[in-house]
Amino acid sequence: MRSFFAVFSRELRAYFVSPLAWVILTALLLIQGYFFSLIISALSDPNTVAGATPFSHFFGFFWISLLFITPAITMRLIAEERRSGTIESLMTAPISEVEVVLAKFFAALTFYGFLWLPTVAYPVLVGRHTDVDWGPVASGYLGTLLIGALALAVGLFGSSFTKNQIVAAVTTFGLLMVLFALPWAGDLTQDETIGKVFSYMDLIVHMDEFSKGIIDSRRLVYYLTTTALFLFLTTRALAAKKWR
Amino acid sequence: MIEARGLTRRYGEMTAVHDVSFSVADGEILGLLGPNGAGKTTTIRMITGFLPPSEGRVTLAGEDLFADPIKARRALGYLPENVALYTEMRVEEYLRYRAKLAGLGRGQTQRALDDAIDACLLDGVRFQIIGTLSKGYRQRVGLAATILHGPQVLVLDEPTVGLDPKQIIAIRELIRDLGRERTLLLSTHILPEVEQLCDRVVIIDRGRLVAEGTPAELAKETREHRVVSVTVKAEGESTEKAARVFGDLGMHLDVDAERPGRFQLRAEGGGQDPRERIFQAAVEHGLILLELGEKRVSLEDVFVRLTTGQGAPTSDVVPDEAQDSAADEAQDKPEGDS
Repeated sequence: MRSFFAVFSRELRAYFVSPLAWVILTALLLIQGYFFSLIISALSDPNTVAGATPFSHFFGFFWISLLFITPAITMRLIAEERRSGTIESLMTAPISEVEVVLAKFFAALTFYGFLWLPTVAYPVLVGRHTDVDWGPVASGYLGTLLIGALALAVGLFGSSFTKNQIVAAVTTFGLLMVLFALPWAGDLTQDETIGKVFSYMDLIVHMDEFSKGIIDSRRLVYYLTTTALFLFLTTRALAAKKWR
Repeated sequence: MIEARGLTRRYGEMTAVHDVSFSVADGEILGLLGPNGAGKTTTIRMITGFLPPSEGRVTLAGEDLFADPIKARRALGYLPENVALYTEMRVEEYLRYRAKLAGLGRGQTQRALDDAIDACLLDGVRFQIIGTLSKGYRQRVGLAATILHGPQVLVLDEPTVGLDPKQIIAIRELIRDLGRERTLLLSTHILPEVEQLCDRVVIIDRGRLVAEGTPAELAKETREHRVVSVTVKAEGESTEKAARVFGDLGMHLDVDAERPGRFQLRAEGGGQDPRERIFQAAVEHGLILLELGEKRVSLEDVFVRLTTGQGAPTSDVVPDEAQDSAADEAQDKPEGDS
């Protein structure tokens, strides 16, 4: 456990001393802030059809930005250890592959959570002027966390078999696009069963539900198992040390 | 205690290391020698558990490395060949991280940290960012991180590379101290270092173990022949004449084509000092001797002899270039030695 925390805290600290992290944070805050102000001004217009809250809009769509952000968060995690050679000290220390992967994953997830932290100000600000339904806000954050965890696990996997951070980021982005586009593939197939399976994997539908306060256990199972699957694949990639 | 049994590593069709076995006892320093590409690093990586062997077993401090890797690695301190550190960290911070990674508690860490910093002469750079340190300092930070948690088994891959002569002496002193109680496997290119530090030597060439013994034993094997270098004054026909005269002495003669008048003679078997016969022959034939000296047989000669194919079992493991590079490397002057 001590070894786990050694890696976890080192990784987390490494985020905050790298300029990339602050660039990501700044970009994300600009995008989120801009869109949130658009949402607010649109909803303030008396002509807008009633029925939506600022947060169902906010969580329903703007998670899309994380397709671009997560590869940048995770690309360094293992690829950089391979490039610099520090992986040799790490993997000969008394720590298991599973612990290494989990420590890196939770460090990335914590940083991801930190990126979203400032947005808590939005419902608080809105709450000073009107009533906020906190349930959907909470489920919106839950959905954001789950989809982020999946994307970060994919990213960690993408970083695990290369020395090159760019390769890691591009691989991750490609895999995320596949996950994202699966429901469209489902629309194209004639086979009803396959189409149905793919439609269950529609991230847009999932997030729409979360943003409206619906927590469907099928979604929880989908995110938790897929995240676990990619983390498992990462431990396998790390154990197969023949590539170097 | 390190025990390696039948270590073999194949990469596809190529066998990088073939059936290497040896053991290192507690309180012993074993030198691992071999030319570049001989399979030294592959062997070391298998012993430290970084690379799984295709066949074979490794035991570290009594723990089987593959049955219980975590427990075995707890007893291991490993300094890889190219010391890689997290360059954005400060020295002390990095050492704290490594202590925690090795499982040291908060209470033990402070003392271990101070001891390692003292031993590796790092006090002056304690709070410096690793990325700003010179190669020698980084090497010592790596070494400090290796010995920090007091491991029973130490594996050091070229620990004195990049250090200045004063630091080399200090680090060798440290290695000798460490080797007194612990099990130490030392891989190095610097042959005098092996002669100074190692109780026993293992030589690997083209993936196979070609020799094992104390430095003295290995040198004795080669001392069977005595090598004498001779220089006669080169004027007129004297070089050709000397070649004829020395050729008749019944010793193996090498002529230095570059420098007229220079020869190397190798007498098989011990016995009488060949220098006497050479001197007398030179006097008889009116050759003027400028130099007559016996070459000390060093580990370097053993190394060259064993790794350039003479007397070593031939193998088809690595293509022929390995032979050339072996000779090249062995002839390189050892660096930074005083």
